[in-house]
Amino acid sequence: MPKRFRQLWAKWALVVLPLALGIYILIPTYRAWDLERRKTSLQEAGDSVQLQEFERLYGATLQSAKQNALKLGLDLRGGMYVTLEVDVLKLLEEAAEREAIDETFRQVLDATRRDVERTDQPVLEAFLRHFDRIARPQGRSLISYYDVSDLREVTEEAILERLRRNIDGAVDQALEVIRQRVDKYGVAEANIQKQGGRRIVLELPGVTNEAEMRQLLQTTARLEFKLVRNTEEAVRAFYAIDQFLKRERAGQPLDTTPRPSAEAGATADTMAQQAASQASPGDTADPYAGLSEEERRRRIREDFPFTSLFITYYIRNERFVPIDYRQPDFPEGEYFFQLPKEQLPEFQAILERPDVRRLLPVDYEIAISAKPDERLKRQGYEIHTFYVLKREPELTGDVVTDARATFDPTTNAPIVLMDMNAEGAERWARITGANVGKKIAIVLDGRVYSAPVVQTKITGGRSQITGMSSIQEAHLLEIVLKAGALKAPVKIIEERIVGPSLGEDSIRRGLLASLVAFLLVVLFMVGYYTGSGAVAIFGLLVNITLIFALLSAFKGTLTLPGIAGIILTMGMAVDANILIFERIREELRRGRSLRSAVDEGHKRALSAILDSNITTFITGLILYFFGTGPIQGFAITLMIGIVMTLFSALIVARALIEILLAYDLQLSYGLPRRWLVATT
Amino acid sequence: MEFFSKTNIDFLGKRRFFFLLSLTTSVVGLLVTAIWGLEYGIDFEGGAEIAVEVRPAPDVADLRATIGSAGFRGAEIKSYGQPNQFLIRVKESLTTAHGEEPTAAVVSALKQRFPDRSVTLLKSDKVGPKIGAEMRLNALIAVILATVAILLYIAFRFEFVYGLGATVALLHDVVIAISAISIVHHLGILRIEINQSVLAALLTVVGFSVNDTVIIFDRIRENRERHKGMNLIKLMNLSINETLSRTINTVLTTVLVLLAILALGGEVLQGFAFTMLVGIITGTYSSIFIASAFVIWFLQTVRKVDLETEYRRLREAERQAAAAQA
Repeated sequence: MPKRFRQLWAKWALVVLPLALGIYILIPTYRAWDLERRKTSLQEAGDSVQLQEFERLYGATLQSAKQNALKLGLDLRGGMYVTLEVDVLKLLEEAAEREAIDETFRQVLDATRRDVERTDQPVLEAFLRHFDRIARPQGRSLISYYDVSDLREVTEEAILERLRRNIDGAVDQALEVIRQRVDKYGVAEANIQKQGGRRIVLELPGVTNEAEMRQLLQTTARLEFKLVRNTEEAVRAFYAIDQFLKRERAGQPLDTTPRPSAEAGATADTMAQQAASQASPGDTADPYAGLSEEERRRRIREDFPFTSLFITYYIRNERFVPIDYRQPDFPEGEYFFQLPKEQLPEFQAILERPDVRRLLPVDYEIAISAKPDERLKRQGYEIHTFYVLKREPELTGDVVTDARATFDPTTNAPIVLMDMNAEGAERWARITGANVGKKIAIVLDGRVYSAPVVQTKITGGRSQITGMSSIQEAHLLEIVLKAGALKAPVKIIEERIVGPSLGEDSIRRGLLASLVAFLLVVLFMVGYYTGSGAVAIFGLLVNITLIFALLSAFKGTLTLPGIAGIILTMGMAVDANILIFERIREELRRGRSLRSAVDEGHKRALSAILDSNITTFITGLILYFFGTGPIQGFAITLMIGIVMTLFSALIVARALIEILLAYDLQLSYGLPRRWLVATT
Repeated sequence: MEFFSKTNIDFLGKRRFFFLLSLTTSVVGLLVTAIWGLEYGIDFEGGAEIAVEVRPAPDVADLRATIGSAGFRGAEIKSYGQPNQFLIRVKESLTTAHGEEPTAAVVSALKQRFPDRSVTLLKSDKVGPKIGAEMRLNALIAVILATVAILLYIAFRFEFVYGLGATVALLHDVVIAISAISIVHHLGILRIEINQSVLAALLTVVGFSVNDTVIIFDRIRENRERHKGMNLIKLMNLSINETLSRTINTVLTTVLVLLAILALGGEVLQGFAFTMLVGIITGTYSSIFIASAFVIWFLQTVRKVDLETEYRRLREAERQAAAAQA
């Protein structure tokens, strides 16, 4: 019936399109689940050849599918959830001058501790309140306890200002340190966020070794200044590592050597090639000439197992000249190394081997930059720099009294000002004096944040660091430099661990409960309302598909309470249909024709449906704002569920009913036939 | 199929009885809750909770002794769903006094004591006292806020009196649900402690129990247009009767899915499902017997409108007409 179809196409679209769209959005979720399952079964079988083949074929697909797939909450996939709080009170105590601390000050601290231990009131405010109450009557002021020698104007406000800045800095610094450590530990899809003024929330999927993780989170960071030794000596050592690995691999079957995934290797190889071709433009005797691109890459990787992971530049007249390791005659001078992020794991794995370590000079170590290069990152490349450092630090961070990111008044470029105490300043003058023109790396927790060149001998303890590409970068450096000055330990105030077996169990139970709930609803609706009940069930299917689709599109996570929310939605979603159907039945009993009863029923039921759903939505909103973690997951699914219920019951199911009516189907709404026979 | 085709039940004629019934139940419920108390989960109390699986299951006394010797004497040990799964709960004072990490200490003590059995950590939660206190406060604010929001919404959509009626009904549901938790927990029927998901359930009950009330109020509003001048009690009774089948059916679908969660959803969702279940069922009861009845009571006692006399006369006339027909 093409004519009828022409009249109805918009309604057909309303019935089919939402479902199709929902399914389309959920394809990555299905694909990720399917590939992950196949990968696990291969891993369990221990079939390394097949696993490599799988990685090659599906590695990239799996990655991208995971990106767009519905995320599971920690309670379902297992992992660790931690809330950390920066101990601001400790910071206030540490910031005070040790000799000045007396009984009065301790009383203030104790009173403040009692206050803040059980409530979330701001620590500084509580401290000041108790200070006013206890210390002021005894003639003490903040100036009596806090060092003011380096303040421009000695006022209480100035001290307070600095304390406030330090508190903020301490939280940012802890956040930075923890990010780096979690990154180093290699937690995939970790989520680290600042919450409120002084808390940090971490979600670490898959982590179950809580003791190790706790250690990682609570140790204080160490700031060091180390001399950069990017010299020909280091480059020669790299050459030796290449030779060593090559010999080792030649003597053993190829299969046992660690091999990076095909995709990860590509970037570095291309760059290594660039380096190779640029280094010797006149050199026509390319040993890899005539080889296919792939073969060429493979050969370079085999011939330079270590140095092909990164690019080496020689700095000649301030220009970066890429060099290769074919001829082991390296000019004297300064070098520079770039390492693509994908190569980091293999790079570190090689350097961690004790037999490889022996090839490096004893007093040298290698440290990687904390962040990838900003300029290259803007172009889409994640390239780290690494440095060869003198192992023994020149100075440690506890001499730094203050640091501040600001702009150079003349050039307007972002800079960081750093102040040191008298002892530090004296040593700093000696160190900088002896190393003019050389680089000194600022190392926090083993990662290099900046490696500025010493311009002149710095006396007086105030240094100026330039060369940041943005004020954000300068701000980060400020935080890092304060690490020594801010002795603010973090405390774990909440810690939740879900073992993987419980997570799997929860998923299984959740699925089973959903299935049974769905069947019960189907039985009831079809049994009670017959054909129109089936329409309601179709609406429910659209509804559930769309809830999952929206959840994954908005990058929400599915938690166990979230599953409960979806099951609950099944019970509630058909409520809207029940209200409509009951109303239609009522209109039919009053003697209306089916057509007008359907119209009237939908129209009349609308206000009750809206009102009842809005009240539930309001509580969903409140739950979202007052709940945490999994409960927010519940609130979100509840709210999405309500909106989707309105859509599927009022629009999709209605359209389907209109179509059925247009094809002259007699919907009885479960009423005995006599009501319909009488009127049609 | 049809459960109720056309009913004419005098719900509001017996409203005093139901009013008293609800009042007594609520007061007794509150008293019972006050005496037997509620058990707060560590979300609100602070402390540590460790769920482990030991296969094959050891003797509970043995387990208790092992955990005691690990330094957590007085830790509660309960079954966690399955017979070989245990929940060990360490009070806040114990976790701080002991100094060592409870999770690591408990797991390693168990592994040492039962070297030939498999000991698996299922989950562990550790909540500091501050977080617990904050959550209690937030929970209270959330429940109050939700109630006020609903009062305002209904007052805005209908009339202020109706907002009050809906609020009284939902407070009644919340009180009954909390008392029910206290009772089943105390009698050992289900192990339900007040944690975040039970709070979520209570809040959902707040939003959900008004659904049925709204359906009835909506019909009252419509009937007031349709039958102008009808006595309000009679009109409300008519409205409740007219909407009875949808009130029952909507709650029935929800009860069905909640039963599925309660039976199959596992330990974590049990408290949630139970709380919702009680709240939803009392929600339906209170929509029928309390919400409108409260509106009538308020109009008669506070606003001094006499609805009762006329309603009695009408009922009497109906009865006589029915008798005359017979």
